[in-house]
Parts: sequence; C-alpha cells; structure tokens
Amino acid sequence: MLLALTLANLKMILRNRQALFWAMAFPLIFVTIFGLFRLDQPPTINLLVVDHAQDSLSTALVKNLAGLERFEVAEVQDEERARRDVQDGEVGYLLVIPEGLAEKLATPGGNQPVPIELVYDRGSQTAAIIIGTIQRFVQETNQQITHAPTVLELKAVGVQAKNLTYFDFLLPGFVGMGVMTYAIIGLSSAMALYREQKILKRMLATPLKVRTFFAAQIMAFLGLSVAQACIIVAAGVLFFNGHIYGNFLYLLVLVVIANVVFLNLGFFVGAVAKNVRAADGMANAISMPMMFLSGTFFPKESLPGVLADVVEFLPLSPLLDAMRGVALDGKAFWQYPTELAILGGWIVVSSVLAVRVFRFS
Amino acid sequence: MTEAIEVEGLVKRFGSFTAVDGISFTVHQGEVFGILGPNGAGKTTTMEIIEGLQEPTAGQTRVLGMDTHRERAKVKERIGVQLQASAYFEYLTLTEILNLFGRFYPRHLDPGGLLAKVGLVDKAKATVGRLSGGQKQRFTIAAALVNDPEVVFLDEPTTGLDPQARRNLWEFIQAIHQDGRTIVLTTHYMEEAQLLCQRVAIMDAAKIAALDTPHDLVRRLPVPYEIRVTAAGSLPQDNLAGLAGVKEVAFDADGACRLRSANAARTLQALMAWASEKGVALAEVEVVPANLEDVFLALTGHQLRD
Repeated sequence: MLLALTLANLKMILRNRQALFWAMAFPLIFVTIFGLFRLDQPPTINLLVVDHAQDSLSTALVKNLAGLERFEVAEVQDEERARRDVQDGEVGYLLVIPEGLAEKLATPGGNQPVPIELVYDRGSQTAAIIIGTIQRFVQETNQQITHAPTVLELKAVGVQAKNLTYFDFLLPGFVGMGVMTYAIIGLSSAMALYREQKILKRMLATPLKVRTFFAAQIMAFLGLSVAQACIIVAAGVLFFNGHIYGNFLYLLVLVVIANVVFLNLGFFVGAVAKNVRAADGMANAISMPMMFLSGTFFPKESLPGVLADVVEFLPLSPLLDAMRGVALDGKAFWQYPTELAILGGWIVVSSVLAVRVFRFS
Repeated sequence: MTEAIEVEGLVKRFGSFTAVDGISFTVHQGEVFGILGPNGAGKTTTMEIIEGLQEPTAGQTRVLGMDTHRERAKVKERIGVQLQASAYFEYLTLTEILNLFGRFYPRHLDPGGLLAKVGLVDKAKATVGRLSGGQKQRFTIAAALVNDPEVVFLDEPTTGLDPQARRNLWEFIQAIHQDGRTIVLTTHYMEEAQLLCQRVAIMDAAKIAALDTPHDLVRRLPVPYEIRVTAAGSLPQDNLAGLAGVKEVAFDADGACRLRSANAARTLQALMAWASEKGVALAEVEVVPANLEDVFLALTGHQLRD
C-alpha cells in the first residue's frame, strides 16, 4: 500500500510538468546566473598614465605596470582631461610622472625624492590594493636605483591546494536552497489543494492509515529531492566548472535528512493555510528569508552578532554548513555532529508539529 | 438480520451551532434510504458521522452492527463513500485512481469492471479533468464501489447536473441497488427521493421531521390529493365544499375548480353524483396526488428550496 501510494505520488509529481519544471528551474536559474558572472576574478584595473618625462626610466616603469596582471594601462597626453575622468569615475586611476624623471635621479647628491602622483577615487574599494601594488612597484624601482640591499624577503607559501572558487561555495547552497523551496512550497500547496478539493477527506473515508499517507508523501518527495540535488550539481559541475571535492553520496545523505524537516514544514504550512494561495504565500515567507539568512549566497558570519547565533539554528543552516564541509573540504557527514544534532532536533519538533496540526478536512 | 445502519440520539455541535439535534433512525439492509432536506439541514454532517469522518458530540452510530467510532477501520472496509463535491487526483487516469484506492482495501474490484458499470470504459485512460459533470459524478460513484461495499453513501449525487444527466445517474444508482447493496443518499430534490428511495427521512433544522416511505409520507398528509375539475359551461359553485372528503375549494383564473381532498375515491364518487344531480357536464377531472414537496411544506411550514 505504501509503495503503491508512493509511486502514485511520484507519478503525479512528474506529470505536473509545469510545477516540476519550475521546481527544477528555480535553483538552476541561480546556478546559471552565478555561473555566468565571473565572480572570483576581480575586475580589470584601468590605469591612465600621463608621462611627462618620456625617458628610459619612465617608459620602463609604464611598461612594467602594463605587464601586471589585470592592469589595463593607457598612456594619455591631456593631464587635465585625465584628472577629470578620474573625478567622474570613468577611469579608476591616473598616474602622473613628472618631467625629467631620469635626469633628476641621475643628478648627484639629489637626495630629494621625486614625486610620482597617483590620482584615484577615494570611494573605490579596491584603491588600497592598487595603491599597495604601485607603491611596491615604486619601492622596488627605488631599490634598484639606489642599489640598496634587500634585507627582508617575503616568501609567500600558498597552502590551499584546491582552487576554491566562490561558485564552489555557492553550489551546495543552491542544492540546499532548491531542495528546501521545493519541499516546503511544493508539498504545502499540494496538501492545501488536496484539502480544498476534499481529496484528503476522501482518503480519510478509506481504511488508509494516516501514517501511511504521510510516509508515502515523504518518500516521493525525498526521491525527487535526490534527483533535484543530482541535477543541480551536474549542471554546476558540467556547465560552470564547479567542483565537489568530497563524497557526493554524503551530500545526498544530508539532503535526505534535512529534507524530512522541510517536508514536515510543508505539511505544517499546508495544514495551517486556508487555501492554496495562502499556502503558497506562507511557504514563500518561510523559505525565502531562510534562503538568505542561512548563507546560501554569502557566509552567514557577516550577519550581526545575535542574529548570526540565531540563524545557526534555522534548519537550512546546519544543512549548508555540513554540505559545504563535505563538498569543499572533503569531509564525511558524520564529522558534523552539531549540525546533525540540530537537524535531528528539527526532525523531532517538526514531526510533532506536522502531525498535531494536520487536518484532513 | 443486522440493520445496515443504526443511529441513536445523534448530536453534533459546532460551538454554539447545533448541526444535528438528537436524531435517531435505522436503515435496513438492501434498502435505498434517502435523507431529504434543504441546504444546512444537517444531512451531510449526519452522513459523515456515520461514515466515521466526523466525531459526534453525543449519540451512537453503528454500521452493519459495528460502532463507527470504536471499530472505524473495520467499518471503512465495508462502506463506500461518495463525498459532496469532492475531486480526485488531477494527474492520474481513472484506472490508476481506482487501482490506487483499491489498494487501500483488503478486497477490491477490478477497475475495468467498475468503469463498465458506470459507462466510462472509453475514459479509462483519461484524467478526471477531461470528464463532463455527469461523467465525474459517475466516476465518483465507481470510486465509492471500489471495495465492493455493502453500504454505499452518496452525498447529493446529482446536485449541479442537468436533468438528462440526473436521470442517467438515477439509473446507475438503481443498478447498484440491484447488486444487493444498501444505499444511503442525501438530496434536496424531492423527485429524486420519491423515485429512488424506499424510505425517506425528512430533515429540517437539525432534526428529522418525518420518516417513512414516500407513499406513506404523502398519504399521511391531511390533504394528500387535489382534484381539478372543469365543466363544459360554467361550474356552479354551490355545495362543492360539502362534498365527501373535501377540505378546501379554490378556483383558478380560467374557472377550473380545485378540490383539496383527504380521500380522492370518496370525493370523486360524490363529485359524480353531484354533477348528475345538478345536470353539470364535466369536461375534465384530474386527480393530482401531493408530493414530498407538499409534505415538506406541511411539516416545516416552509419550502424545500427558498
């Protein structure tokens, strides 16, 4: 009986093409958008150079700057106009090299430093990095000219073996988000519809046990959530160069565990809502804030103090944390006992809640 | 033989509103039993309590000797239920729905046979959304028979159907009855109750106003017949009210006379004697029996449908 009802539920879900399409498309739209934007690569830096010196030293400097990664260097003559462009925000940076650079430096006893002017927009967030880069560059040139010995040397050792991108961070988030929204919105509106159309009451008139009815719904939706997770991950990995470094099966285990909570919430909303529209609205009101707060798109550590602590206990948070641990750090799901405990607590609470409020008519 | 249904002192309150106010009745096995009444009389609530879908505030209901509320699961196995205006799954075919519902029962009938019974074999692979109103109602009846039930509940099976579809559905209901099933149906169509039911409970304002065969309900009226008389010429009006059995005399605009009678046979005899004595040539004599509508009016003081 359970199997027959589960299969029938799956059949109905799969035949409701439109609802199914949107359930799948919603997270995929996010995957596509974030996959297309090259979020990890900082934007190119446009640097204008007004070279009044035009000597060997200045040309060498400009040439070296142009060789830097991400630097788009353009030489211009009109200093006035260049300054205006920076002012208007059309160009990020302007470097003004004074006249007779090499000469001044070559002058013996010329201990006066030669000023090279960098004009930039103070509001720019990348300014500090650019200034640092140019400063270091100028420093090195200083050293070469004065033949000062190198005293300290920075040895940068990259320890991150994997090239983790923002998209890799997002991908488990999309899986969690997709599964959650489909479970809460899909199940709650299905339940509200069944009640509105008296299908639930009709089933109550048969010897079908309430727990069998619940179990069959949950099994069908769990099966679907696994498919959903596979599709989202496949799209991210195949089309947008995303990575899952850990065991994919562990991800699915986490999805299934957390989805029990989301489905219970779906039953709850479906029971509390008076009709399908109300169910839809309520389900959105629950899942949308959770999607943002639990850190689908950005780490939830950036939330203010108390809120960050509260958010830890939303059911989506432990799912995303554990999934990212598996996907990015290659851990096993049982290495997240706190997260699993929170999810376990939610399963208990949400089950009781769902069974308590659920009505057949 | 065990009674199909026994209802004793049934009360159902929703807050301060009393939907069912202490009713009792019995439905015999193999009978078609009607609950006739206007909307809001408490018909559906009564039926749903017997089916085990609602809890009574007080009183007892038994189906085939089993208490509905103590042996709910067993009762559900042996009854078939058609709910008022209920739908079925949108994305399953008729056969799939019948198969699914059949699985809920230990014993179930073959979907093909059920669809054949209600004339929907050619729609076996269609979804409910593709059926007409009448076909939908027929399907819900087929679905109510999926467990080969001994007692079938039909809640307003023909409401919202056109006269043609309604008549068509009556035939199916009669066919189901002929299979030996007990049928309980609610309706607010008196012709439906009169045609289909062996016995009818007239329900109004949460109570049963009367319960009997349609024939006896009508016959027990103080004035169960009306005799309409027209004469070739003008009808003399004297003494008509004094004829045997006549309770009331009224005249229509066209000059026809309506004699409301407690006993049609005696009134007719007296009428004939009166006509020959007066030398009146009667043109038409018509005996119109009262119907359940009149019974309802007489019992409750208001019309069945406002």
